[in-house]
Amino acid sequence: MPREVEISIIEREFIQNALQEGIRRDGREFDAFRPLELNFGDEYGVADVQLGKTRVIVRISVDVVAPPPERKFDGVFQIVTEFSPMASPAFEVGRPTDAEVILSRVLEKAIRRSNALDTESLCIIAGLKCFALRADVHIVDHDGGLIDASCIAVMAALQHFRRPDVIVEGEKATVLSTRERDPIPLSILHQPLSVTFSYYEEGNLFLVDADLAEEQVRQGEIIITMNRHGEICQVNKYGGAPVEPLDLLNLNNVALQKVKDISKFIQQKLDEDAKKRDAGGLMAELSAENAR
Amino acid sequence: MHPTTQLSPLHRADGSATYTSNGYTIIGAVNGPIEVQRRDELPTEATLEVNVRPAVGVGSPRERHLETLLHGALRSVVLTESLPRSLVQITLQVSGMPSEEGDCGVSSSLSILPHLLHTALLALLSASIPLSTILTAALVVIPSSSSTPLVSPTANQLLRAKPIRSAHVFAFSGDGSLLMNESDGVFSLQEWDEAVEATEEVCCKEEGGVGLSEGMEVDGREGGSLDTWLREVVRGKVNWEMRWKTAR
Repeated sequence: MPREVEISIIEREFIQNALQEGIRRDGREFDAFRPLELNFGDEYGVADVQLGKTRVIVRISVDVVAPPPERKFDGVFQIVTEFSPMASPAFEVGRPTDAEVILSRVLEKAIRRSNALDTESLCIIAGLKCFALRADVHIVDHDGGLIDASCIAVMAALQHFRRPDVIVEGEKATVLSTRERDPIPLSILHQPLSVTFSYYEEGNLFLVDADLAEEQVRQGEIIITMNRHGEICQVNKYGGAPVEPLDLLNLNNVALQKVKDISKFIQQKLDEDAKKRDAGGLMAELSAENAR
Repeated sequence: MHPTTQLSPLHRADGSATYTSNGYTIIGAVNGPIEVQRRDELPTEATLEVNVRPAVGVGSPRERHLETLLHGALRSVVLTESLPRSLVQITLQVSGMPSEEGDCGVSSSLSILPHLLHTALLALLSASIPLSTILTAALVVIPSSSSTPLVSPTANQLLRAKPIRSAHVFAFSGDGSLLMNESDGVFSLQEWDEAVEATEEVCCKEEGGVGLSEGMEVDGREGGSLDTWLREVVRGKVNWEMRWKTAR
């Protein structure tokens, strides 16, 4: 399998020199995201996120399984990230690269361990049956910023997904198909989103949403995951150069602003999609959702 | 309805295509010719690697089976001798399937096969990999209730035509010869012949040819065979790429 093409020395120096003069390769501000696009599929729970040239498709699927014996009252939630040679020939099937390991670890921490999804609501009969939710992250096109894009895609898909309704009678549970009963949305406790900062110049210069070339030149990265209320879920620092604590605090403020913007964007897209589906205005009557 | 497709939507892969037909959405990407691993290297021809990735979950034996079938069919299409000691890597990511897919009575590896073949071919064309010919493929099913074969039915049609006696996938090359066949179920030789004929009609009927096309226009199948569609797609792409030359 060919290795990832390393960036040439000339290009590396060009990017570094340009950054010193305060210019990014594509003319963006230092704290600007690339244009973000979000599309939902015809089915529930499919989100297609494009962040510049990076493209990630997430699909949520659900299955009924027996819960693990040590967590009888919880459902199962799993995020699966597997890179394919589609995104880059350097990705080999069945042999995870470092980037893939970091991505799955960050997503795991950001979304699963921060309890973004209320897994207790996925329980059908304690100890016997629960929903197993699965988020498949497909990296289709790779131009840097995979963590941010995947995080947006997973959260958008989770908010878009509807699970089938169930009727429980004693020990017997019946899963109703979407034709019998309108499926119900997942209970999501908060919406964590990641913002990746790449740092250069011994930690004196920070870029938001670096593209692949900028990622190859950077000294390290800081990944901050927080929700729009400013609650930090995780801070990760990869790479050697030291970073001032004050800078880190500043980054948190920048991240909060970005997360707020993106949350608003996702909500707006969700509303548009709901309006499109709710063609006759009958959704409210069909819904089986309880007022909480 | 002809499939809708877009050539080269991805910027990183050497060639790519998105393909939507009958509820199936597939993204195909081709990288090649690239460096091949020592153990896969062939001294006189290119190694072909096919990866099929399901929409949900990781690859199962079903995907491995599909990969073997695709590998066999595509190897006879790609001019592997002209790219010795290199690798042509084909990745097919299924991103959408019709919701009725599971219970329409046809093996799911058969119903998706023609779509995978088309996507792979479009991606190969987009990557400019030398090919000896093109291919078109279609699914035919023969329901138990009637003996008229259904050509490239939608999942909904299949659901209504249940129970299904046999299902076949045929692939034809550009000059109209049979390239590949996968059949499943119980059928007589005569039925198989009819199925081949019906598929040939859909895949590679010449423009203006006369055949048993009356039944098909009812299905809204217009605008020529799959072969014509494929050529039209590529012509459109080439026209777009060459617009700098043709514009005055």
